[in-house]
Amino acid sequence: MTALWSKLSAVLPPNEEEFPLQFSDKVESSVVSVLQQSRRQLYSDATSTDRTLTAQIILDLSWEKLNTGTWRDVDKEWRCVYSYGCLFKVAALCREHPSADEILQGIRTCDMGLLMGAAIMDNVLQVLVQILQEEVRKSTKEDEQHNITSTFRVKTERPRVPVIKDEQAVPRIKCPSLESFKSDYLLPLRPVILEATADHWPAFNEHPWSVEYLRSVAGCRTVPVEVGSRYTDEEWSQTLLTVNEFIDQYDGAKAVGYLAQHQLFDQIPELKEDIRIPDYCCLGDGDEDDITVNAWFGPGGTVSPLHQDPQQNFLVQVVGSKYIRLYSPEDTDKLYPHQSSLLHNTSQVEVENPDTERFPEFARAPYLECVLQPGDVLFIPVQHWHYIRSLELSFSVSFWWS
Amino acid sequence: MRWFGFGFNAFGQICVHNELSKDEGRDTVSDVKIMNPTELHRNVDKSVCGRNKCLKTSQIRASWSRRVWLHVDGDSCVCLAGFGGTSVVDSSGCTDTVLSETHLTLAFSDRIESWDLQKKEKTPAWSMEIQPPTDTSGPPLSLPLVPGGYIATKPPFYRSLSPHLKAKSLALGAEHAILLSATGAVYTWGLGSHGQLGHGGLTSEEEPRAVEALWGMPMKHVVTGGWHCACISDGADLYIWGWNESGQLGLPSQSLRKGHKEESSQQAADCQSASINPGGKPLEGEKDKEVFISIQAFPALLDISPSCEIRTVSCGSRHTAAVTATGDLYTWGWGEYGQLGHKNLISTDEPQCVDFFKEQKLYVVDVVCGPWNTFTAVGEEEVKLS
Repeated sequence: MTALWSKLSAVLPPNEEEFPLQFSDKVESSVVSVLQQSRRQLYSDATSTDRTLTAQIILDLSWEKLNTGTWRDVDKEWRCVYSYGCLFKVAALCREHPSADEILQGIRTCDMGLLMGAAIMDNVLQVLVQILQEEVRKSTKEDEQHNITSTFRVKTERPRVPVIKDEQAVPRIKCPSLESFKSDYLLPLRPVILEATADHWPAFNEHPWSVEYLRSVAGCRTVPVEVGSRYTDEEWSQTLLTVNEFIDQYDGAKAVGYLAQHQLFDQIPELKEDIRIPDYCCLGDGDEDDITVNAWFGPGGTVSPLHQDPQQNFLVQVVGSKYIRLYSPEDTDKLYPHQSSLLHNTSQVEVENPDTERFPEFARAPYLECVLQPGDVLFIPVQHWHYIRSLELSFSVSFWWS
Repeated sequence: MRWFGFGFNAFGQICVHNELSKDEGRDTVSDVKIMNPTELHRNVDKSVCGRNKCLKTSQIRASWSRRVWLHVDGDSCVCLAGFGGTSVVDSSGCTDTVLSETHLTLAFSDRIESWDLQKKEKTPAWSMEIQPPTDTSGPPLSLPLVPGGYIATKPPFYRSLSPHLKAKSLALGAEHAILLSATGAVYTWGLGSHGQLGHGGLTSEEEPRAVEALWGMPMKHVVTGGWHCACISDGADLYIWGWNESGQLGLPSQSLRKGHKEESSQQAADCQSASINPGGKPLEGEKDKEVFISIQAFPALLDISPSCEIRTVSCGSRHTAAVTATGDLYTWGWGEYGQLGHKNLISTDEPQCVDFFKEQKLYVVDVVCGPWNTFTAVGEEEVKLS
């Protein structure tokens, strides 16, 4: 048995009997029989071809189920089946002396399960991917860190940095007390930039975030990437790329890629260690577990069109800077939200280049604006409209809370 | 009539593993993925049926894990193969069948019965009595149509349909349905997320809605796969729409080309993507730039080269198979289980002739796709289009 497989099999049940495969009658008995066959192959001396074949049947069928109906309606049982398919495929790939490429495939397979499946067996895919990632790191260290060229380089031409007018600037305040933040900003729902409240994050100290750091922590991990300058564009699409591919592909390219609104910190716990939930979130009614933490990573030029969210938001800028404009929900009638139910929380107006004929009222809507710098924490009150454009390579973290 | 099958065979629904020759290094992969069209074994079914009459098969239906034969000459007989083994269903007088992953539905002159295949019960899970048609001038109903409505794949089984639709035939996709009226009009409803309804958008429809783009062009045959639909006009033209993820529409598919590119790791083509094509026709590619269709939200006329009349068409979950008036079989779309019959496991977005039947001088007269496999009926001589 290889050293890698002994590590992987140590986190799997010791035998077939203790390996759970319980499904409701939503999953047909024919499908369960294939899952059982895969389980049997895991504990017997089947060939790796046979193991891969059975796992792929499970993945192909559950993939079809995941694409049937809207994502919300997909039964959790089928997302579990998909995760089991990923588990069996990883086991088939990494059983005998896997090549470096097969290990990377194994990591990709775990990530697909983490992104599209549901947690099975105490989130075993999360444990497996850590082991595989460790293996990759070991081998790259042996290779002696080849000189990684820095990417997402600062472009020679300076980005359009808007001049912020004083009377429209989002107020800034240093480390307010919980009480004063509550009475002055949270209750009246007034936007504010909290300074020096995230300075203690490891992301600013022990593990300063950078492209190189991200490559070393998460380079081989697969993440969802938005392609196209804004999600309201026709050509906009989503794709799955490894962090390395994403960094290589969109460096200086015409198309803009954006790792946006992704729960990266659940997928890569190591990065979670570098951030802290703002203390002010305790002013909400919700549990800490109910806070949604999203990562936003991309080159200069990414745009989030003017939109509103149903929760309070702390947007923390870690790397680079972003231009942000905020409109009060009281002025929604001047912002021309899309009519369709899917986009009714998004304005039709191109904020920095508005079509004044189609949207005449827009110019009358008062707004606040700012350039968010590393260390800044922007409080975006619930339902407040916000427009965001990155001015350079940027990494931000958002906390949605209630 | 001889039947051939190819594609997904993990449950022995095309041929039973131990019947394939064990020599020549046959492996599990070639047992599970039948790449060469393989004649459905007469002997097995004969011995099980105990009747020679079964030789003449009139109908095949396939689900993901099973296949059912209906033989209607003389006393009819229904044979199941695949998951759960080969068996004969007590079905004297059966005239039509429909098979889902969980249920086998049988039509008789006086009743419809749905049997739960996951439970060994002595009575059908659901049944309804029907009156012999009073108006004999109308077309005979074929499953899943029943008087007044249709039979769904999951409960509630009976769903009613407005008599104004004058339903002549009906096909059910993963989450949508397509209906052909007696006048040749086409109606679709259900989930529209992948353009499978052909109304030009991605929205869903609660009620049957006429596919306006096909108005004035009477259709004679409608079919559907997982996320795509196809139909044949009175003039024997093929129209197709929906999701093109695996090239199942026979239009350029980016995800397919990307996959090939990854495998062959070459061709850094500068390509432009057109994810949704709202036009009635496939977009013309610009010079040096290929235009890909991810979703075709309106019916597109699909020309099979050399251009010819289409006799029949059938859709798998992600592949399509069409029979020409000259008895050739063309297939395209997802091919990873051998369901295209091209003696390989390659998906293609171009309709390709299945050479096997040409080489054997066999004329294909009918095709029926299971989700991941394909079944064809062949004759030795050219059968003229009636």
